[in-house]
Amino acid sequence: MRGDAMRGLAVFISDIRNCKSREAELRRINKELTNIRQRFRADKTLDGYQKKKYVCKLLFIFLLGHDIDFGYMEAVNLLSSNKYTEKQIGYLFISVIMNSSTEMKQLIIQNIRNDLQSRNPIFINLALQCVANIGDREMAIAFTNDIPRLLISGDTLDAVKQSAALCLLRLHRTSSDSLQLNTEWTARIIHLLNDQHLGVATAAVSLIDALVKRNPDEYRGCVNLAVSRLSRIVTSSYTDFQDYTYYFVPAPWLCVKLLRLLQNYPPPEDPSVRSRLNECLDTILNKAQEPLKSKKVQHSNARNAVLFEAINLIIHMDCESSLLVRACNQLGQFLQNRETNLRYLALESMCLLAASEFSHEAVKKHQETVINALKSERDVSVRQRAVDLLYAMCDRSNAQDLVQEMLAYLETADYTIREEMVLKIAILSEKYAVDYSWYLDVMLKLIRIAGDFVSEEVWYRVIQVVVNRTDVQSYAAKIAFEALQAPACHENMVKVGGYILGEYGNLIALDPRSTPMIQFNLLHSKYHLCSPATRCLILSTYMKFMNLFPEIKHHIQEILRHDSNYRSSDVEIQQRATEYLRLSEICNPTVLATILEIMPPYPEKQSPLLVRLKQKKPLMEANGATESQPAASGNTDDGPKLTETAIHLNQQAQHQNGLLVSLDTPESNGHHEESTSHHSSSAKKFLFKNSDIIFENELIQVGIKGESTKSTLRIELYYGNKTNSHLTHFSADIFTPGDLQTALRMNFDPIKSTIDPKAQIKQTGTIDCIKDFAELPTMNISFLHNNMLQKIDYAFPLYLNKFIEKAEMDSNNFFLRWRNLDKPNQECQKIFPAKFPMVYNDCNQKLEDFGWSSLVGIDVNAENFCGAGIINTSTQPIGCLYRLEPNKQAKMYRLTIRSSKEGVANRLMELLEDQF
Amino acid sequence: MIGGVFIYNHKGEVLISRVYRDDIGRNAVDAFRVNVIHARQQSRFPVVNIARTSFFYTKRSNIWLCAVAKQNINAAMVFEFLNKMIDVMQSYFGKISEENVKNNFVLIYELLDEILDFGYPQNSDTGVLKSFITQQGVRPVTREEQTNVTSAVTGQIGWRREGIKYRRNELFLDVIESVNLLMSQQGQVLSTHVAGRVVMKSYLSGMPECKFGINDKITVENRTKNTTDSTNATTNPNNGATNPATTTKTAIAIDDCQFHQCVKLSKFESEHSISFIPPDGEFELMRYRTTKDISLPFRVIPLVREIGRTKMEVKVVVKSNFKPTLIGQKIEIRIPIPPNTCDVQLLCMKGKAKHKASDNAIVWKMKRMGGMKESQLSAEIELTPNDKKKWNRPPISMNFEVPFAPSGFKVRYLKVFEHKLNYSDSETIKWVRYIGKSGLYETRS
Repeated sequence: MRGDAMRGLAVFISDIRNCKSREAELRRINKELTNIRQRFRADKTLDGYQKKKYVCKLLFIFLLGHDIDFGYMEAVNLLSSNKYTEKQIGYLFISVIMNSSTEMKQLIIQNIRNDLQSRNPIFINLALQCVANIGDREMAIAFTNDIPRLLISGDTLDAVKQSAALCLLRLHRTSSDSLQLNTEWTARIIHLLNDQHLGVATAAVSLIDALVKRNPDEYRGCVNLAVSRLSRIVTSSYTDFQDYTYYFVPAPWLCVKLLRLLQNYPPPEDPSVRSRLNECLDTILNKAQEPLKSKKVQHSNARNAVLFEAINLIIHMDCESSLLVRACNQLGQFLQNRETNLRYLALESMCLLAASEFSHEAVKKHQETVINALKSERDVSVRQRAVDLLYAMCDRSNAQDLVQEMLAYLETADYTIREEMVLKIAILSEKYAVDYSWYLDVMLKLIRIAGDFVSEEVWYRVIQVVVNRTDVQSYAAKIAFEALQAPACHENMVKVGGYILGEYGNLIALDPRSTPMIQFNLLHSKYHLCSPATRCLILSTYMKFMNLFPEIKHHIQEILRHDSNYRSSDVEIQQRATEYLRLSEICNPTVLATILEIMPPYPEKQSPLLVRLKQKKPLMEANGATESQPAASGNTDDGPKLTETAIHLNQQAQHQNGLLVSLDTPESNGHHEESTSHHSSSAKKFLFKNSDIIFENELIQVGIKGESTKSTLRIELYYGNKTNSHLTHFSADIFTPGDLQTALRMNFDPIKSTIDPKAQIKQTGTIDCIKDFAELPTMNISFLHNNMLQKIDYAFPLYLNKFIEKAEMDSNNFFLRWRNLDKPNQECQKIFPAKFPMVYNDCNQKLEDFGWSSLVGIDVNAENFCGAGIINTSTQPIGCLYRLEPNKQAKMYRLTIRSSKEGVANRLMELLEDQF
Repeated sequence: MIGGVFIYNHKGEVLISRVYRDDIGRNAVDAFRVNVIHARQQSRFPVVNIARTSFFYTKRSNIWLCAVAKQNINAAMVFEFLNKMIDVMQSYFGKISEENVKNNFVLIYELLDEILDFGYPQNSDTGVLKSFITQQGVRPVTREEQTNVTSAVTGQIGWRREGIKYRRNELFLDVIESVNLLMSQQGQVLSTHVAGRVVMKSYLSGMPECKFGINDKITVENRTKNTTDSTNATTNPNNGATNPATTTKTAIAIDDCQFHQCVKLSKFESEHSISFIPPDGEFELMRYRTTKDISLPFRVIPLVREIGRTKMEVKVVVKSNFKPTLIGQKIEIRIPIPPNTCDVQLLCMKGKAKHKASDNAIVWKMKRMGGMKESQLSAEIELTPNDKKKWNRPPISMNFEVPFAPSGFKVRYLKVFEHKLNYSDSETIKWVRYIGKSGLYETRS
C-alpha cells in the first residue's frame, strides 16, 4: 500500500537537510541521481506514481542549484496522465526547467493543447498556468487562438475565464508582437467588463488595460462599460459582493483597476457618461469622509487605495474644478495623518494637483502644513516629497516665503536631498525674482549654507544673471565683497565673488571700505586655499583688476611673477600667469582696456538649472510640462565658460560654442525628432528661438542659429546628413523674391559639396535688413543621394522680429510714446482665442523671446503685458510698442501693437496672433 | 603579523575568536563566514583577501581554522603556525571536532595566549607547553617549578628541560614518505616527487647530544673522499659501505630539506652533519623532498573503451613493483566514472570493488598485496545518453602503504652522546622504521 505522500521524496529531502557539509550534500545527490538514472532506463517500465516521485526529486535537486540533464521525457509523459497530481507535477517540472530543445517543446505544446481542449476545467487551468509561467514567444504563437477562444466562449467556467485572461495578459506582456488578437473578439473581450463574476471582470480589466495601451482606438468602447461597472460597485453597499468585499470595501482591486483603465483615455465626451463618472468620483470622495468601519489597517488601506486612484483619475481628467478642489482638501487631511505612507502619497498627489490650474490655489492653502512636514517629518523620503510639492506650488505670490523656508530648512536638510534643494531654490528665486537684489541675496546665502552642493550650473547662472542685468551689478559687487569678508568661505563663493569683483569691482571702488587694494588683498587672501581651477579664475580676475585699477598693476604683476604661479606645477595656472604677465607688460592701456572689456550679456536661453534638474530626475517634474522648450541647449556652454571666455579676447568664440545640430549621438537625434514634431504644430520656426531645426526629412536635417547685432543678423546653418552614405553635389541657396530683394542683403560663405555619412557641415553668413519686409525668403537645397537628385524647396523662416532690439522704459515714457503713435495705420489690434494654457510666465517668456522687452509694472492691470522694441533696419530704426491683455474667463487675448512706421504693426501682428 | 585567530564549525558559527591586534574588527569574523564558509562557490584558494584583510585558513574535518592579518605577512609562516596549532591541539585533546573544541575552549584560549604574542608566533613545542599548560584545572605552582619553566622557555635550549631521567634510554625513528605521481595513459611518468619526514620519539636521560647520518649524496661523497684520503685507515669491518662503487649507488639526492629548531644549522652548513639535542617525546626532526631515482611501488594500467553512447568498458591492471618479500597494505584504487552512469557491473580477481554512486567512482580495495604481483579489475558501465558535454576522464588515483622508503632514503647511523650522565651510545635502544605512503598517486586513463 502506498499513498500519495511520496515517502521517498520526504526521506530524500530530510537526508539533504541533515547533511553537515556541502560535500556530503553533493554525495547524497550524486547517489540519488544514479538511482534515478537506473529507474529511468529506457527498458524499465514505471507507473505514474514512481515517475511522479522521481520527477519531484529531480526538481528538488534542480532547485538546490544542480544541473539536470535528463528526465524531461518522463516529465512530459506525466502531462498526458489522467491523474491530477501527476499532471500537476509534470507541469511544475516543465515550467521550472524548460528544455530548450525544439522537439521537446513541440511535444510539450502538443500536450498543453490537448489539455486546453479537454473538457476538464482543472486540466485547462493547469495548462493555462503552465503557459503563463513559461510565457515565451513560441507559446504565444502556438496559443494565439486557443486562449482567446476560451476567454470569450460562452460555456467556459468563470475560473477558467479568469485564468485565460491572466494568461493572455502575461503572453501580451512578454511577447506582444507575436500575439495576434483577432479584431472580431474586441467587442467580446470588452464585454467581459460586464461579466457577472467579479473575478473574471477583475482579470479582464488588467488584460484590457494592457491591450488599450497598445491600441487605444480599438478598445475605446470600454470607457462606457468601465464607468457603468464602476458606478455599480461604488454605489452599492459592501454587503452586495460577498466574496469580493475586502474589509468592508467593495471590490477594491477591481475599482482601482477600472480607475486606472479610465486614465488611458481623455474625459468621456458623452455628457451622461461623464456625469455618471463624476458622480462615482464624488461618491468615492464622500466615502473617504465617512468614519472608518473597522480599526484594521487593511480597511483603511483598501479604502485609500481606491481614493488615491480616483484622485489620480481626477488629476488626469483635469477638467472638474470642484472635484480637483475636493481632492486637494482630502489630501490636505491626509497630510496630518499618522501614517507615514499616507502622508507620502498625499504629498506626491498634491504635486500633480499643483500643476493643474484649477487646484493650484487650493494646494496653496496647505502651504503651512507642508512646510511643517518639511521641518518635523522623520522620514527623509517624505521630506523629499514635501520639497517637491513646495517647488510645484510656488508662484509669484508666495515665492519669497517659500524660498526663505527652504533656505532655512536647507541648513538642517538631509545630505541626499541637498543638491536637489539647492537647484530648486536657485530656480525658484530666479524665476520669481521681482527684485534681483533679493535674488542675489538668496543665492549668496545658498552658497554660504550649502556650498558643497552648489553645482557648477548654479553659480554660472548667478553670474549670467548679474552680467545680463546692469541694474544689480553694483549691488552684486557690494554683497560679493561682503560675503568674501567672512573668515571661511566656500570655494564656490570665492568663484562667484572673484568673477563679480573682476567685472564690476570698479563700481564699489570709491567706497573707502573697498578700495581696489582692499578688494585685491581680500581676494588674494583666499587664493592659496583654492583648487587650481579656482585659482585660474582668480588670475583672470586679477587681470581684469589691472584694467579697472591701473594703480595696483604693479602688485598684480608681482603675484603673476611669483614662482607659485609663474612656475606652477599646474599647466593651466602656469600658462595663464605667463600669458597675462606678458600681456600686461607689452600692451598699452588702451589695448588692454579693449581686451579686458566688460563681458557682454549672455544670450538668453533656457536656464541650465532646469536642464540640470531634469537630468537629475527625469520623471518627477511637476512644472516641467509648462516649460515647453525642449532641452536643446543642454550643453553647459551656456555658463560663463571661465576657461575660455573669462578674458574676452575673441568675440567669435561666443558664437561658435557647441554645434547646434549634432547627429553623432543617438540622444540628440531622438531629441531633434521630438523638437520637429513639436514645431510642426506651430509652423513658425525660428520665431521665438535663436536656434532651431528649420527642415528635416529622412535624409537631411537643417538647423539654424542666429544672433543679431543692430540690423545685421549673423546666421549659422547646419546641414546634417542622416543617411549612411555620402551626399554629393550639395548646394544650398536662399532666394529673395520680389520686394524682398530690396529689403534684405544676404551674404553667405561657400560650403563643401559633399557631406559624409552621419556628419554635418556648417555654413555661416550674415543678413542685413535694409527695410522692413513681409514675405519670407525661400531656401533651395539640392544634392545627390544614391545618385538620385533630391531637391528641397521651403520657406526660409526669417521673420522681421529677428531684428528687434529690446527697449526698456518706465511707465510715463511708455504711455507718452503710446499716445504719440495714434495714427490709424500705426496701430493694429486683434482679439483671438488662446491656443495654449494661459500661464503668465509662459507668455512673458514668449514675448521676451520674440525680441522685445516685457516691462513689468507698467500697466495698471498686473495680468497685462506691455513692452517695447526697436526694429533695426539700416535705413531707419522703427519703434514698436505692444500691449497684450489676457482674459482668463473667456480664454481670449487682445493684442495691440503700435509702431512708428505704417504697416509694421500689422506684420508683427501676423507673426504673433496665433502664438498664445 | 597575525591579527587574530578564529575557529568556526561547519555551519560558520564562531567557536573560538581571539583577536591580537586592534586593526582586526569584529566584522572580520562575519566577513570570513559570509565570503568563504557560506560562499555560493566553494573557494579554492587557501588565502582570501576581503576588504584589504587577508584570511588564511585550513579545514580539519568540519572545523575551519582561520588566521587573519591586515598586513602583508609571510603566508608560509601563517600556515606553518596553523598546522602547528592543530598539532598542539591534537596532542592535548585528540581529534579536532566541534565537540572537542567546545569542551576545551578554556584550554584553547590559554594555548592561543601562549603560542601567539601580539600576533608573533612563540614557542609552540608541545612538550614545553604541556609542562605549564595542563588540562587538570588550576594547580598551585611551586616557585621551583615556575623558575624551571621560565628558564626552560627563555634559555638557550628552549625545547628541552633539564633533569629528565629514564630507566631505559630508548629512541624511535620513523621515516615516513609520501609518493606523488602523475603518469600518462601510456605509462610515461609526467611528474613525481617524494615528500619525506623523519619523526623521532626520544626517551633519553639528561641532555644528550645526537648525531644523525643519512645516505645523502653530498655527505656520502664527503665521507668517501675523507676515507680515501686516509687510505682506508678505518678499522671497522662493518663499514663496507665506504667502497665508492656502492656508495654512489645507494646515495640519494635530496632537493631540499628542513630541520627542527633543535638541529644546529651552523654545523650542518659547515660539516654537513646533523647534530642536535632532541626535545623530550615526539617531534619531527627533518623534512625533505626528492625528485630523482624514485622507485614507484605500484603501476596502474588502465584501459577504457567507449562502446556507443550508452556503454563503456573499463579494465584496470595493478602491478606491484618491489621485492617479493615485502607486502603492500591498505591498497585502494579509485576509478572515476561519468556522472551520467546508471549502472555498473564489476568483476575483480582480488580484493573488493564497489560502485560508489555518491562519488561517481568505482572503489577497489585490497587489504594487502605482495611484491612483483599483478591484479586486474574489469567493469562494464551503462550510461544514460547525454549530449550536453563530453566527459573529460579524470585520472585514476591510488592509495597504499609500503614498508620501505620509495626515495631510497636510508638512516646510516644515529649516535647519542651524554657527557654528564655518561651512558654510552651502545646502551641506548634504537628502533628504525620506514613507511612509504601514497600522496597524490594518479594515472591518466
